[in-house]
Amino acid sequence: MTPFAHISGEETTSSQIWRSANRGEIDLFVRSLSTVYEVVGVQEKRGRLLRSRIDDPTSLVLDFPPRVHSPKKFLFPNGEKLFRFRLGGKVLLETERTSPPRVIFGMHPCDLHAVKILDDCLLEGEADSSYRALRDSAILVGVDCQPDDHCFCTSMGTDRVADGFDLFLHHHDGSYLIQTGSPRGEALLLRHAPRIAARPGEPPLPLQLKQCSNGLQCSSETLPTVLEGAYDHPTWEEIGNLCLGCGACNLLCPTCYCFNVHDRLDLNLHGGERVRTWESCQFDQFTKVAGGDNFRGTQAERQRHRFFRKHKYLREKHQRTGCVGCGRCSRECLSQIEPATVLNSLFKEQAGPVKTQMPGLEYQPQLAEIAAVRILSEREKLLRLRLAEPVRFDPGTFMEVSVFGLGEAPFTIASAPDGGRELEIVVRAAGNLTRALHRLKTGDQVGVRGPFGCGFRMADLVGSDILLVAGGRGLITLRSLLLAILARREEFGRVILLYGARDPESLLFHDDLMAWHQGDQLDCRLVISDSGGDWCIARGEVSHLFRDLDIAPHRTIAAVSGPPGMYRSTNSLLFQIGFDEDRVFLNLERHMKCGLGKCGKCQINDICVCQCGPIFPYSKVRHLREAIER
Amino acid sequence: MKPRIGFFDFAGCEGCQLTVLNLEDRLLELLDMVEIVEFREISSGGGDPLDIAFVEGSVGPRDEIERLRKIRKKTKSLVALGACADTGGINSLSRFQTASTLQQTVYGETAAPPPVALLRPLHDFVAVDHRLPGCPIDGEEFLAVLQALLLGRPPELPGYSVCVECKLAELPCLFDTGQICLGPIARAGCGARCVQGGSRCRGCRGEMENPRSNPYYRILTDHGLTEEEIRDQYRLFNLPEKEDR
Amino acid sequence: MKIAVNHLTRIEGHANLVINAGDGTLEECRLEVVETPRFFEAILLGRHYSEVAHMVARICGVCSHSHTLASLTATERALNLTVSDQTLNLRKLLAFGEILQSHVLHLYFMALPDYLGVPSLFPLVQTHRDVVGRALRLKKLGNDLCNVVGGRPVHPVTPCVGGFAALPGRAELQDLRQRLGEALPDLEETIDLFASLDLPDFLRETVYLSLIPESEYPLLGDTVTFSSGFSLPVAEFESTVSEYLPERSTAKYALVNRQSYQVGPLARTRNAFHRLSPMARKVADALGLTAASANPFQNLTARLVEVVQIVDQSLHLIDNLLLDGLRQETLPVPAGGGCGAGAVEAPRGLLYHRYSYDEDGLLTGANCIIPTAQNLANIEGDLQVLIPRLFPGPREELTRQAEMLIRAYDPCISCSTHLVKIDFV
Repeated sequence: MTPFAHISGEETTSSQIWRSANRGEIDLFVRSLSTVYEVVGVQEKRGRLLRSRIDDPTSLVLDFPPRVHSPKKFLFPNGEKLFRFRLGGKVLLETERTSPPRVIFGMHPCDLHAVKILDDCLLEGEADSSYRALRDSAILVGVDCQPDDHCFCTSMGTDRVADGFDLFLHHHDGSYLIQTGSPRGEALLLRHAPRIAARPGEPPLPLQLKQCSNGLQCSSETLPTVLEGAYDHPTWEEIGNLCLGCGACNLLCPTCYCFNVHDRLDLNLHGGERVRTWESCQFDQFTKVAGGDNFRGTQAERQRHRFFRKHKYLREKHQRTGCVGCGRCSRECLSQIEPATVLNSLFKEQAGPVKTQMPGLEYQPQLAEIAAVRILSEREKLLRLRLAEPVRFDPGTFMEVSVFGLGEAPFTIASAPDGGRELEIVVRAAGNLTRALHRLKTGDQVGVRGPFGCGFRMADLVGSDILLVAGGRGLITLRSLLLAILARREEFGRVILLYGARDPESLLFHDDLMAWHQGDQLDCRLVISDSGGDWCIARGEVSHLFRDLDIAPHRTIAAVSGPPGMYRSTNSLLFQIGFDEDRVFLNLERHMKCGLGKCGKCQINDICVCQCGPIFPYSKVRHLREAIER
Repeated sequence: MKPRIGFFDFAGCEGCQLTVLNLEDRLLELLDMVEIVEFREISSGGGDPLDIAFVEGSVGPRDEIERLRKIRKKTKSLVALGACADTGGINSLSRFQTASTLQQTVYGETAAPPPVALLRPLHDFVAVDHRLPGCPIDGEEFLAVLQALLLGRPPELPGYSVCVECKLAELPCLFDTGQICLGPIARAGCGARCVQGGSRCRGCRGEMENPRSNPYYRILTDHGLTEEEIRDQYRLFNLPEKEDR
Repeated sequence: MKIAVNHLTRIEGHANLVINAGDGTLEECRLEVVETPRFFEAILLGRHYSEVAHMVARICGVCSHSHTLASLTATERALNLTVSDQTLNLRKLLAFGEILQSHVLHLYFMALPDYLGVPSLFPLVQTHRDVVGRALRLKKLGNDLCNVVGGRPVHPVTPCVGGFAALPGRAELQDLRQRLGEALPDLEETIDLFASLDLPDFLRETVYLSLIPESEYPLLGDTVTFSSGFSLPVAEFESTVSEYLPERSTAKYALVNRQSYQVGPLARTRNAFHRLSPMARKVADALGLTAASANPFQNLTARLVEVVQIVDQSLHLIDNLLLDGLRQETLPVPAGGGCGAGAVEAPRGLLYHRYSYDEDGLLTGANCIIPTAQNLANIEGDLQVLIPRLFPGPREELTRQAEMLIRAYDPCISCSTHLVKIDFV
């Protein structure tokens, strides 16, 4: 069972396996496929990117803009011969040979959704046999993409696809992950790329959300209602006056398939063929009948029909959008008729609930880029994130970090605030989300929300001695404070760190700490609890480090951060030394989820950690029975 | 008896007739089906009557008008072959200069320059039954029209614009590169050959059925053309409507 | 007797033949060009340099590529632009295609019927289908060369100022190369066929003009050579040629030093006989063509030799193009105006274009000197010697021989109505 959340209600098949592959192996795969199939894909020809047969695997382009024409010509060709006939005496009909089986590389998610729509339309009732033949014999290989400002696939829910393909190639790390989507796809790998097939499965990548800048202001499900109320709207007349009737919108649309049927005779008149050619509902001739009547005689009516068909009729019939938001129609429309703009203007007028303040806005992360990755230990990595805007926070606060498709989790900010756009978090690979974070590289994107919580108020700490007590991963929070202190070291007195962990590997930032200690910036005392090994660090618990501690509690602030069990011993030790309850700060973390004090998951008795903590002065939590393990 | 067809030419370059000859191996097949009774460029024969007369070139001087009328009389069907015969073609441009300018420019200060007779498409003088547009015509279209005529069917030319053929050929739109193209109002049927060849559509096949002039005009002005320039572009191969003359 | 042939057949364009003979003496003999003028030079005025070549192609359907190339060369000289070797090679290939197509059209469709005593090639479809098939095959080869390089066999689309807007594909060039190689049997049969014909025996030496490049057979070039011995640069050609408009003609005739002269295949083979390829030279020898041939009817022979020459040169040219590979080039944008001239050897002879442009690149003046127009005076000169020799023969024979002589020059009448001299504006 793949650890995937259900996306858009579509089930992921249990046969999905993800394997890594490099470009060279994919070339070999293509070469092997070419011996049995006709392989088609995007390649550069005469300075343009065109879909055609691939003769040289290295010419296959797997990263191309949405501008490239759709692959519908391979499933529903223009000028397809329905049959041949011979004249003279009895008319003889000969069916056409079927075309060879094909592998179609380079289906963007929108294209794959478009195929589902073509299936709905052409296979219902009496299934179109030519389409069926081509469809069944075509192997679909998807590839991911970057939207441009004409795409509005996010609004249509077609920017990501979980099924409907045999294989899907994901760009990853300068290389690829191949996702199988069907038993046929798996068999193809086994037969034509055994080296790839033999590889063990990898954890899946989360579904890539496109975040198109262009889009609908209403939900696409409401479009039928919106359009119903707009049948006589003057906008159709306006569009009709702009429209050139060139049919580019239909010719390029991956879900358009309307056609005309006519006969072609051979020159010698002995025979001929009946063919079907792509038509456009924007042409004059589309609805003309013998006798001269034209049932959709104005361009306004024709454009209206196009919008109604894609966004209302088809959706109501098949419960699926008829438009995949690929933007091809608007990209190449000389009159710049743009669907989302048209639909938004209709929606706006209908006094529907307007999405000016989009619900869920506060849950939408902004995108941050991974600026650097530093390996701290076998299971821990430091990620440096670059946000879009400068960020201000107090040490000890946290960010909610998202990996889309896997979820969102809180991470303490491990760096000090410096007024810039970057901050650091430490990630231990423990679950799906953190393992996914570990797979990311510089340049990858994550979602971030925050900063949330209450941290250390530096103004309150200035002028004092600082005693930092850290256990295990608790150091991460205190690192933020420590870096902030070190940035203005002269404003503080003595700075002592008591740090204990299970084993030397678990001592995070050991080299940094030693450097500061040797530089006399920090009095750093370490202890590890595991026996064994010949590392020259003292054995014991953090509490043992209190023995030789010589401090003046009245001018010292203590900050404690560690596993829950640690607080019991250290707190009592601190009070024994003579610390005031106001001068002891605790890092109490719970399962912060929303960060906004709403979800309730981080409650300690009657307070929310995300609102009031996680940095609390002891005086604030002494009455909370759940705060500290007694 | 095989249908009798003839080829005639007036003021033109004979490129359309040459395009028929360029059908090469299909020409042999064609010759099995029809009898070419007259084809001045490659034949010394002649004769009446004709079933189909293909006439290339524009007409101007009086004796040429007479000759055209004689051809019209002796043929059942008359087909305008190519832009010069159909819309005036490139000859149309002389329409926009005065007679004296034309004479002076071409023949200078000669004693007796030839008279200027403005060149017009065939339909200004005789009834034209069918047409083959383009400069030059498209050989395949010629065969299709001929076949339709032999079968007694009215020939059908595409009514939509060259844009359709450009899109089917997956060509990038010239307007995107800041160039002007007459494709959106020009009649398709040439396979967007000029755009394929790196050039642009100059509208040599005449207008599509029901050209959407208003939005096209707007697009041209958006691209910075003045009204004069727009008219100039259009007129390269097409004589304006009768009212305009 | 008076012979008036209206609209001579089996030539390109419209011309009338008028012969007025008293008893034994020729009173009048002329070729009247009656092609309706289309006023090209006036149409070109004020047009942008990027359109000029596309427009002048429409002067003639048979030699549209030659007009295009001469026009582009003249425009590039005027605007001070140079083109790459690749462009020159592709232009040569395009010219080869056109000359091949034109010569085959002339040899088989226009000239041959006279020698076989038929009004056209069409009757041969029944009796000698293979001959017609062969003619069409060879013509198709020429047309396909034009199609692949120029985008269309009539009125090319790819050549433009500074180069080519689109390039031929490798596979297409390879296919042409193969077909050129496979054309040799057809060529041999053509040579055999024409070798068996009896060309009229008629000698009249005149001055023969052609381009003379540095080392190649005449096609593109900057120097015009006269068989009388002297040469001059193309830029000075116009001032050397004087033109006049005879009565009842819409085309101007040309004279050099008050003498008529000849351009075309015979002029080229004479002036560049030693530059024929070994294969073409063999054919010339076999057919009796020499560097001193002075029978205008031998233009047919020269045409045939040029067909072989072209197939040979095209093979080598394509091999070189494939070896070097074709690269898309950025087209130059000219700055300012100027005046310039360019010449190419069209199928029918030396074709010259001269243009002047203003600062905005708009055409202010144009002049074209057309091969056929240059031959018109010579044709009349030939007729004036030939016809009296045929006296007192029947009118049919006189007419036939006169027509055959005219046809031997393969005149392109549509072109020749555009000979013009315009003063600079």
